[in-house]
Amino acid sequence: MIEIGRLCVKLAGRDAGKKCVIADVLDKNFVLIDGETRRRKCNIRHLEPLKDMIKIKKGAASSEISAEFKKLGIEVKETKKKEKAEKPKKLRGKDKKPSEEKPKKEKKKADKKEKPAEKKEAPKKETKKEEPKKK
Amino acid sequence: MPAGRHKSRTLRRVSRKTPGAKTTLQYKKRKPSKAKCGMCGAVLSGVPRERPKKMQNISKTKKRPERPFGGVLCPKCMRKIIKESIRE
Repeated sequence: MIEIGRLCVKLAGRDAGKKCVIADVLDKNFVLIDGETRRRKCNIRHLEPLKDMIKIKKGAASSEISAEFKKLGIEVKETKKKEKAEKPKKLRGKDKKPSEEKPKKEKKKADKKEKPAEKKEAPKKETKKEEPKKK
Repeated sequence: MPAGRHKSRTLRRVSRKTPGAKTTLQYKKRKPSKAKCGMCGAVLSGVPRERPKKMQNISKTKKRPERPFGGVLCPKCMRKIIKESIRE
């Protein structure tokens, strides 16, 4: 039953219930399948063979198999390949915008210098004020 | 003594540590029963057991296995149904 060109239905996983074709026999237990399902290695136990056969070569390309499936009246969804997005470039030196970052740093430093003197008094008052609001 | 409404076991008891390092008893609602297969009644794996409010925040893909009849039937029963539909 398990031979190249045999139509099957997948029984396990997210492609369960979908039709596929055996494109290659890899092993005693494993075959290469393609069709409505993803093109992948598959255990024989996860396949239910059907009566029908398709004439395909050993290790046929997915485009050939999808063409054969169309003849049978089964539509195969074509998956688009993802295009790689360009990596964002880090700007350095002259290209960097000077206006964005410099003023922030100055502010932080200024705050730190001022705080330590006030710290001992200030935080206690703040915590007391916050608690009653929560309740 | 616990309050009268806390004496029955309708609420489950959880011991929590407070910020002051004391342990207190909290009373929380019980979790719903485990999800079961619609055909054979086997316990389904991969379906979380949470209160509805928490289930809202879990994404759909984490609430059930991603296969036909996922979260409704166990895999054995699903295979049976697929095989029967093929052989008709």
